[in-house]
Amino acid sequence: MSNSDHHTAPMSPVEQRVAALEALLTERGLVPEGFIEEITRRYETEIGPMNGAKVVARAWADPEYKLRLLADGTAAIAELGFGGPEGDHLVVVENTAAVHNVIVCTLCSCYPWPVLGLPPAWYKDPPYWPRWAARCPRRWRSGYGTPPPRSATSSCPSARRARRA
Amino acid sequence: MTTPLSLSGLDLPRRNGELAFDAPWQSTVFALAAAVIENGFGGDPEPFRQQLIRAIAAEPGRPYWESWTAALEELVP
Repeated sequence: MSNSDHHTAPMSPVEQRVAALEALLTERGLVPEGFIEEITRRYETEIGPMNGAKVVARAWADPEYKLRLLADGTAAIAELGFGGPEGDHLVVVENTAAVHNVIVCTLCSCYPWPVLGLPPAWYKDPPYWPRWAARCPRRWRSGYGTPPPRSATSSCPSARRARRA
Repeated sequence: MTTPLSLSGLDLPRRNGELAFDAPWQSTVFALAAAVIENGFGGDPEPFRQQLIRAIAAEPGRPYWESWTAALEELVP
């Protein structure tokens, strides 16, 4: 795919940079024909929170599975066929009436990709980062539409620590 | 499920589960990084990931895919 094929307006600076990268990488033989279209299609159709939803639904329907999931997330999730890179050290935590969990990545690049897919944009917003979350978790969570119950404490597992555990 | 791509875990924005590409150049630069990881680094995403961390840290307010572009430029001089 070439960004330049259908452009009539002048390219923006970043579009020019990407076009230059595409030309360079293609010239070096690193971008097989059709690769860009294929990888975009796969990420759009096969990878996403639908996989994690299957895990949660199984836990709802199968109490023994739920116990296994909380005891060893990686192994229990692997039972459903999900795992691999970024999914090799999965830790599952449960929200309860007393505890709501907040997941952050202190380096902003970790996410349980096999079960949740690619992070939403707000996960990358500086206001989401841990100092903000730790400073005022109740107000912060309310700002994302999920105010915790008044009785809840806040827990902030680190996605990176979890991944590397 | 198909074999996971080694690009996994890199932080790609989604909105309500959908890939958040606002323009063709964003999906292009996303796929270009995947191509470099797959075909230039033997599937190891770590070199690109480290560049991306540096790019975001250098300009935290920069739009995400522009940081991604900068990271790729650094990785492939």
